[in-house]
Amino acid sequence: MSQQERIRLLGTPVGREVRLAEFGDDIDPLQREQLHAYGLSVPHKLKVLQQHPLTVVLCDHVEIAIEHAVAQHLWVESAA
Amino acid sequence: MTPSATLDATARTLALVGHPNVGKSVLFHRLTGTYVNVSNYPGTTVEVSRAAPRFDRDASLLDTPGVLSLPARSDDERATMRALLHEDMRTLIQVGDAKNLRRTLNLTALLAELGIPMVLALNMADEANARGVTVDTAALAESLGIPVIATIATGGEGVVPLTDALKHAAPPAPLLRYDDETERAVQAVTALIARHAPHPRLAARGLAILLLGHDPEVSAWLDEKAGAGAAEIRKLITDTAAGRKEPLAALLARERGRAAEALARTVSKQAAGKDRSMAMRVGQLAVHPVWGWPLLLAVLYVVYLFVGDFGAGTLVGLLEEDFFGGVLNPAMTDFVQHYVTIPWIADLLVGEYGLWTMGMTYALALILPIVTTFFLAFGVLEDSGYFSRLSVIANRMFAAIGLNGRAVLPMVLGLGCVTMATLTTRILQTPRERLITIFLMALAIPCSAQLGVVFGLLGGISFNATLIWAGCMLLVLLTAGFLAGKLVKGRRIPLVTELPPMRMPVLGNVLKKTGGRLKWYLVEVIPLFLIGTLLMFILDRAGVLPWIIKAGEPLVSGWLGLPPEASAAFVMGFLRRDFGATGLFALSSELTMIQAVVGMVTITLFVPCIASVMMIVKERGMRTAAIMLAIIMPTAFFVGGVLNHVLHLFM
Repeated sequence: MSQQERIRLLGTPVGREVRLAEFGDDIDPLQREQLHAYGLSVPHKLKVLQQHPLTVVLCDHVEIAIEHAVAQHLWVESAA
Repeated sequence: MTPSATLDATARTLALVGHPNVGKSVLFHRLTGTYVNVSNYPGTTVEVSRAAPRFDRDASLLDTPGVLSLPARSDDERATMRALLHEDMRTLIQVGDAKNLRRTLNLTALLAELGIPMVLALNMADEANARGVTVDTAALAESLGIPVIATIATGGEGVVPLTDALKHAAPPAPLLRYDDETERAVQAVTALIARHAPHPRLAARGLAILLLGHDPEVSAWLDEKAGAGAAEIRKLITDTAAGRKEPLAALLARERGRAAEALARTVSKQAAGKDRSMAMRVGQLAVHPVWGWPLLLAVLYVVYLFVGDFGAGTLVGLLEEDFFGGVLNPAMTDFVQHYVTIPWIADLLVGEYGLWTMGMTYALALILPIVTTFFLAFGVLEDSGYFSRLSVIANRMFAAIGLNGRAVLPMVLGLGCVTMATLTTRILQTPRERLITIFLMALAIPCSAQLGVVFGLLGGISFNATLIWAGCMLLVLLTAGFLAGKLVKGRRIPLVTELPPMRMPVLGNVLKKTGGRLKWYLVEVIPLFLIGTLLMFILDRAGVLPWIIKAGEPLVSGWLGLPPEASAAFVMGFLRRDFGATGLFALSSELTMIQAVVGMVTITLFVPCIASVMMIVKERGMRTAAIMLAIIMPTAFFVGGVLNHVLHLFM
């Protein structure tokens, strides 16, 4: 994945370290606030721990479970 | 168990504030000596607790519900915001997670705008250390202009320095300045608040930022204090929001997040390769798509063995049959019959519906051993952090009924006590989620005492009987949830939740919680059992009970297929479902397997206890409570009857 290439968090392979690149327009404003409150803000680094049954990411040593309906609207890019 | 939560504006007040599950309640216990319920999941504290701190017995220390973020969005966050607005708040002790400094500082950035003197306790310093996170507390203190103390509240480390640091509490330096356009809006609203509704403690700028973020509590406060000025402020806020592409609340949160990240980066370090602990591996196993379910079944089976087999079987056998039945009750009966010469009083004490032979024997010999084992098992699971993990694997099931996995937490807590769990629904984000969850708990979640009786009666018959009961409850829960999800207006919120780390349960905490819950049981339940027994005695003496049994025959014997005497258990169930279940338990020798299962399913779905009904009235209003009861009782008899007829087709 190149520096500019963005993929959905939902499609990111387990174990990959990524940076949050963008919130999709389909994310509800209240949910966006909630994501910020959990520390999920652009361009923070995340590690994908699992994708099923929910997407679970590690963000600053805290595991956060995200339902696919939200994870598919979060865009990430390579952390490298 | 919760100390007085009455807001009193005359006391000098300090408050513990912070994110959920960062150790505020443990610190509260350390600072005051007052125990409040402490658990390893977010949302344990949903009301403000108050006690005098050890370092100043004239002051008042508040333990506030955790705030994921401010402006407040959920009911527990609103409770914290109300405390900030209405208390004579002199000092805030922000409790933060040392291993997640960025998130901690995100909240600090907002609290700093409120202008209250603060101290920052960076708690769980041991967990941060284990993950290779080091925070330069001196540099952070210098940047913020407030004392910053590393603490490990569970071990008491850092508590004395924290107490000493309170003398040096100061309003923190602002962490950020918003972009010019936002700053102009903040300053304009600030000026209007300062003119129309100056707050005695909170800075107008902080209140302006919360208002621009649509905080409902600050908005209500403004309506109360600003009079005609409130309309002017509201118009300005509406005009400010009108031309923007991004909602102001999200923009403000994003900017604070950036400032917090920048500061966190300068004062903390992460050692390489120390981000995966054993606890995390165990935690991941619990939410694994394949291993999560077998692990859940294994956990449930161990709980069943401990509560159903050991508690309801071995311990109840020892207490009820051997001690009460063989020793205590015969001795008590002899004593009463010898010394009490008035026959009806003797009968009231040791007769068929005697206060001792029925009320106290049910409460102490049948239920107490069961709830003790249940509370112990529950405490261990609570402290381990496992309950939060359930929200992940249960999410899909809850999605089918219009909720998300977060609702699993109140429901699991309902297995302890539905009354307290009703209060815990405050952690849910929308009124719709709360309403559906409260309804489902009132209908189909048995409390610990009732669950114990179910395990005791059905487990004594066969494991299959328990499985049929559990399957039936699950089916009712899903069907009722599905229908409620369709009927209650509003949309479903997808799940985003923190998963707290799995931890080894602390024996002292588990025992303390079990002791507290048993005290609640003894104080709340035993009097109700005695009142219920007295009621049964009076009904029996007045000849009403035989009439009720006769009148209930078509329903109880015809439709449910139970012996006519079971009507008495349903009368007892009006007071508490577990009391009614115990009445069926007492009939167990006369029941077939089908009758036992049908009886337990019906009584489990029967009306919630009086305390739960009162809590529903408090949280949702009288009308909602009445509608729920009107749905629940016919549903119980309908499901019980259908089950009776279905089971007879196959058995």
